[in-house]
Amino acid sequence: MINNKNIYKKSILTRWVSGIIVNQKAFIGSCIILFFGVLAIFVPPFIQSPTDFLSTPLSPPSSDYFFGTNGQGQDVFAQTICGARQTLFIGFSAGILVVIIGALIGGTAGYYGGRIDDVLSLLINIFLVMPGLPLMVILASWLPPSPATLLGVLVLTGWAWNARVIRSQMMTFRNRDFVSAAVISGESNIRIIVIEIMPRMLSLLASSFIGASIYAIGAQVGLEFLGLGDVSTVTWGTNLYWASNDLALLTESWWTFVPTGFCIAMISFALTLINFGIDEVSNPRLISERLWRNKIPKNKITHGITPVSNSNE
Amino acid sequence: MNKPVINIKNLNVDYITDKNPIKAVRDVTFEIFSGEIFGLVGESGSGKSTVVQAMMRILPPPAIISKGEVIINNEDILASSSLDVVGMRWKKISIVMQSALNALNPVLSIREQIHDVLKTHKNLIGLDADERAKELLSLVEIDHDRLDSFPHQLSGGMKQRIVIAIALAIMPPIIIMDEPTTALDVIVEREIIAKIIDLRKKLGFTILFITHDLNLLLEFADRLAIMKNGEIVELDKVENIHAGGKHPYTKKLIGSIPSASGKRQKGLLSKPKSLNLSKNPILEVQNLKKVFQSPGFFNKNKLIAVNDVSFKIHKGEIVGLVGESGSGKSTVAKLVTRLIRPSEGSIYLNGENKKVTESRNVPLQYRKDVQMVFQDPFGSLNSIHTVYHHLSRPLYRHRLKDEVTMLPYIIDLLEKVGLSPGEKFAEKFPHEMSGGERQRVAIARALSLEPKIVVADEPTSMLDVSIRMEVLEIFAKMRIENNLTVLFITHDLASARYLADRIIVLKNGKIIEENNSENLIQNPKEDYTKQLVNAASPGWLNQITK
Repeated sequence: MINNKNIYKKSILTRWVSGIIVNQKAFIGSCIILFFGVLAIFVPPFIQSPTDFLSTPLSPPSSDYFFGTNGQGQDVFAQTICGARQTLFIGFSAGILVVIIGALIGGTAGYYGGRIDDVLSLLINIFLVMPGLPLMVILASWLPPSPATLLGVLVLTGWAWNARVIRSQMMTFRNRDFVSAAVISGESNIRIIVIEIMPRMLSLLASSFIGASIYAIGAQVGLEFLGLGDVSTVTWGTNLYWASNDLALLTESWWTFVPTGFCIAMISFALTLINFGIDEVSNPRLISERLWRNKIPKNKITHGITPVSNSNE
Repeated sequence: MNKPVINIKNLNVDYITDKNPIKAVRDVTFEIFSGEIFGLVGESGSGKSTVVQAMMRILPPPAIISKGEVIINNEDILASSSLDVVGMRWKKISIVMQSALNALNPVLSIREQIHDVLKTHKNLIGLDADERAKELLSLVEIDHDRLDSFPHQLSGGMKQRIVIAIALAIMPPIIIMDEPTTALDVIVEREIIAKIIDLRKKLGFTILFITHDLNLLLEFADRLAIMKNGEIVELDKVENIHAGGKHPYTKKLIGSIPSASGKRQKGLLSKPKSLNLSKNPILEVQNLKKVFQSPGFFNKNKLIAVNDVSFKIHKGEIVGLVGESGSGKSTVAKLVTRLIRPSEGSIYLNGENKKVTESRNVPLQYRKDVQMVFQDPFGSLNSIHTVYHHLSRPLYRHRLKDEVTMLPYIIDLLEKVGLSPGEKFAEKFPHEMSGGERQRVAIARALSLEPKIVVADEPTSMLDVSIRMEVLEIFAKMRIENNLTVLFITHDLASARYLADRIIVLKNGKIIEENNSENLIQNPKEDYTKQLVNAASPGWLNQITK
């Protein structure tokens, strides 16, 4: 006799997690993110304070200070690691919030349609036509500088596009037979949205989250670089701000901005890898096509002509 | 002796996957002679389309032809250079693809699409090409004015004729037809086939006809090959196949074709000995009307999908609602299950003269009493949930079973619809089952609440021919055992004849004829019903060509 609960547990999540672990791209991407995550959370207590004056300003990398010091004589290595903390936290929180708001508003609009959709779509469209970058700059400079302000600004300017995408995906699901079947069996709307439809959108939600996170990290660093963040905190954005303020390029002290820039690039790279991985997990055909390309000699691939394998000749 | 124009030997096609390659076609061998109509029959997944696409070498990745020989007009296609293969397409052999509805480019006029082909393959442009385009339309009996139409302005049948005309554009000696009529209604389908046969008489091309519908090919093919799981299980003259064939699979296919003419075959579907219907109907529909209005402020397009439809269904009765696409039959299903609200009219359930269409919110009791089986078993089950989830949710929702009694009930239910052992199937996900098994799960879900009436909207049209009767048998059996009431909606008059006690014929949203099944088949009164009956009877081709 099987157990009721076991059947229930064999869910889509387990399939997904195992899919991601097996997928090379997603695995490498996750490892990089995990590495930075561990670095940001656990390492800061064990290194020098990033805000103390430690040594001659702008001294190049040495065995004492791996990445040298900046214009204030602070340790760039410590700054890079501590800066990851706030940058990643705000970046990923903004990503999560954007997806949640997008799913709530877009999902409701797409599922219910009619008047509700008219009102919510109007709201989405208003936010879509507002120019994001100027709004971001104005809001960030007008509100008191703090991490919370930054997060709010990023979410406010970023959610609408996601809501739009989720709304149209929801509209296609709304008319599928399995949703009608759930309606006919008497399920409540909330339950249909959360249990029946949302898991089907997992790949969309996941890639939305990743796209939103990349955007949030980039925009955040940009704002802080312009001096619109709280310059007293240590983040990747303020690191770049101070590097530029201390004329790093003129003094040729490359070590003040290269490590931070490299980290930002790595994070974006890792997130993009995960996105590719999600694509392949949710669409196994992509994997098959890659294998197909590897298996067939290059000179036999002609677009639009099915290849004949060697065993024939 | 006639020489074969197509000669295929030991053709093998693999699909590359991350595990072992899937062998979609295995050692397929056949020859087609000049002037012949050769039929390739198989159910979904049998590899019939893969065979012809491999012949033309148009299979997309990740397919690979792993072995075999394809000789068309003494030319070895598999050994040819890609240039030769492209040159061969359309000139020597053209293909009419599945679903003509998508084969035409929606943003180009018909003239441009025909010109495209003529220019690429024959270098014909300007007035010469126009002349030829008109000739082609005359061939398929379409008015020349239509040259400037766009695909969305044409009906399905016209689109299909135009696709055939384009395939004939440069008179290739061989034409491959891959399910050319599957998306069309029966009457239109029959006309198209008659047209094809007529054209062949005039022009004398060879046809390779691929379909899942054995019944169709029995009418006009010369020889038939029956495919199953990537292999040809039987290849013979059509008379021999018609007589029953040798392979058990052929026998099963031949045996599962219901006919709309002649006497009722015995043993195809079980029927109760007699019907004792109560006086009061369990469901009564009065003057139902549904108007769809295009969204938007300035848009005043209206579509009357259902117009003044009234009927009654009694307990223990199976009523067939027959109509072609666009007749409004699925809208009736949605209205009865209250997925959408009627524009006018009312629905009475259970003889209690209580109008159930007044409020926007549908009472839970109604949800329990009226259940539905959908057409597409791939779409009506949620791919992320197990069979157990699908069957247990309605029961939890209506508080009919608890944790303890749930599982035994579900296992019992699964076994009743022919999914045994039930414990095994309860754990499965939809993608782990075949189409027929999924549809059985969908039926089990509809039955789980012990509803007063089940609306079955084309429950077998997406299933393979060989299992359709078995699935319908579930309804027939449940009716006898549990006095189940069914509203059976279908386009197929023959299957309605066998399952239903009474048939209602729907056309353009209106009921045009209603009668006892056998009476309706034997003595149809309306012209439209006569056409439907004729189209579903063997020998229809002779009737049309006469």
